[in-house]
Amino acid sequence: MKLLTHNMLTSHVKGVTKGYPLLIKATEVKVNEVEFNPQFVSRMIPKLEWSALIQAAEGVGHRQDLPDTLVSNYENDEDFLHKVHRVLLEVEVIEGSLQCPESGREFPISKGVPNMLLNEDES
Amino acid sequence: WFWPLARIVEHIPGRVFFCCRAALQELMRLKSAERLFLLLRKAPPTSLPKNPGITQVCSKVKCIFIRTFRLRFRLSFLYPINDAFLVLPPAKAASMIQQSIVGNPDVWRQALSTWAALQAELNGSHGRGQKRKREEEEDDVNGIKESVESEDACGLGQNRPTFRVSCRCSGAIARCCNSQNLSRIIGVAISQQLGWKADLRHCKVILCFAVYAVVNDLLSFISYCLFFDASVILDPMCGVGTILLEAAQECPSAVFIGMDSEEAQLQKAAENVEAAGQVNRMLLVQSSYIPLPTGSVDAVLCDVPFGRRFSCSTDMTSALPRILAEMERVLSDGGYLVLLLSLQLSGQIKKLVKSNTPNPESRAAGRNTKSPDHTHGVSKHSSEPDENRETERLKLSSLLLQNTHRVSLGSTDAIIHTYTKTHTLTH
Repeated sequence: MKLLTHNMLTSHVKGVTKGYPLLIKATEVKVNEVEFNPQFVSRMIPKLEWSALIQAAEGVGHRQDLPDTLVSNYENDEDFLHKVHRVLLEVEVIEGSLQCPESGREFPISKGVPNMLLNEDES
Repeated sequence: WFWPLARIVEHIPGRVFFCCRAALQELMRLKSAERLFLLLRKAPPTSLPKNPGITQVCSKVKCIFIRTFRLRFRLSFLYPINDAFLVLPPAKAASMIQQSIVGNPDVWRQALSTWAALQAELNGSHGRGQKRKREEEEDDVNGIKESVESEDACGLGQNRPTFRVSCRCSGAIARCCNSQNLSRIIGVAISQQLGWKADLRHCKVILCFAVYAVVNDLLSFISYCLFFDASVILDPMCGVGTILLEAAQECPSAVFIGMDSEEAQLQKAAENVEAAGQVNRMLLVQSSYIPLPTGSVDAVLCDVPFGRRFSCSTDMTSALPRILAEMERVLSDGGYLVLLLSLQLSGQIKKLVKSNTPNPESRAAGRNTKSPDHTHGVSKHSSEPDENRETERLKLSSLLLQNTHRVSLGSTDAIIHTYTKTHTLTH
């Protein structure tokens, strides 16, 4: 699971009003090198919940000294975009789980795929 | 930044026909279109006498394009013609083609002046250095030394336009049809019925005829991706990821989220993603609902499975309203929903969405009473309380049907529905 995926996932457990961001509990993290595309990264940045990304990156030990708040004019900052690229797309949680911040429900991550399935009585 | 969703889309090999309300400048920015053609007329299918003993072939569409020397804009006429004419005696086929080709002359004149106007706008508003130069060279080669101004609508309206026909056949039709003959037959019809002047060398307009066999398939579904420039695209029932991977070919800068409730399907999807070299922007999640924030997705593409049990012991027919509501929720304002549906589900979904817009009056009334609607979508990263979600399930009020389009999937037919999510402001 990429941190980009994590940045978008919310918990929909019954009764939960703010199931975001999910807490990452990683037991296996890998870094896969993927091709760097600065346009792609700068297009994604406005879509992100920045603080959740930083928190997640910190949690899996790959923060890349990224700032707490998003800098302006990042489009031309190659170095910054490269770091975001690394955090968003290259860091991969292979095994572990995601925990709902409100209900505490854990969603397993197995072989890199988060399992968000809920039981009938939970949804 | 989005493309206005194209409506009434048709697809033949190499070409996609669509309607949209975009300005010329916006059309010029279409990324995946190599060239733009302007379709000005689509004639009803030409009926031909049934020849006993002859097996009918189902390929049937003939397209007629008026090509210009200038790049980018071309006029095209689309004529569906039953290709039974290919097996008619040549003289008879020729006369039938000639009868059917022109139709209403006003349409041709109008087409020509629209083309000229667009052409003038194109040439006037862009000082496109190199391309312009090449065009001029091309004009010289063809012996035309006219200025741009002389090509405006008025000039064309008064003079007899000069033309030549260029005809190209492809596929199965090419084997039984001689392009040169066809060109000649069509040329005669045009000069006789429209009074245009055939001139092989000094012609202003090239009428470009392309004869194709048409096969509607999943590709026309995918080709919807041509028309928007979305950055987050979701398939909530992705199976092995076929549609997302096809769409990825068309949208090189988007990120794709694939969801499925079955682990085995997702494993295959992961292999496919790997094989296609798309791991960097293909995100897979196991889920039977859409665990994403409200308004976070620009487009939803989905080949809705039918007859298959979907999740939690519900079949698709009963699950559809809930699934649609989920799709509606995660779409951003102005986002697109493209669904591939069985005939049965198509009927069902029509009822579901149609009930929202019975007539303008009750729609307006609906808007006034819909203030609770604004409670969601305000906070991006929060899921709604259950009561809200419950009412949302029954509404689907922001989905606006753009068009439906029948496609053949081999042994069965399916219907493509496209919707846009209307902006909150218009509620």
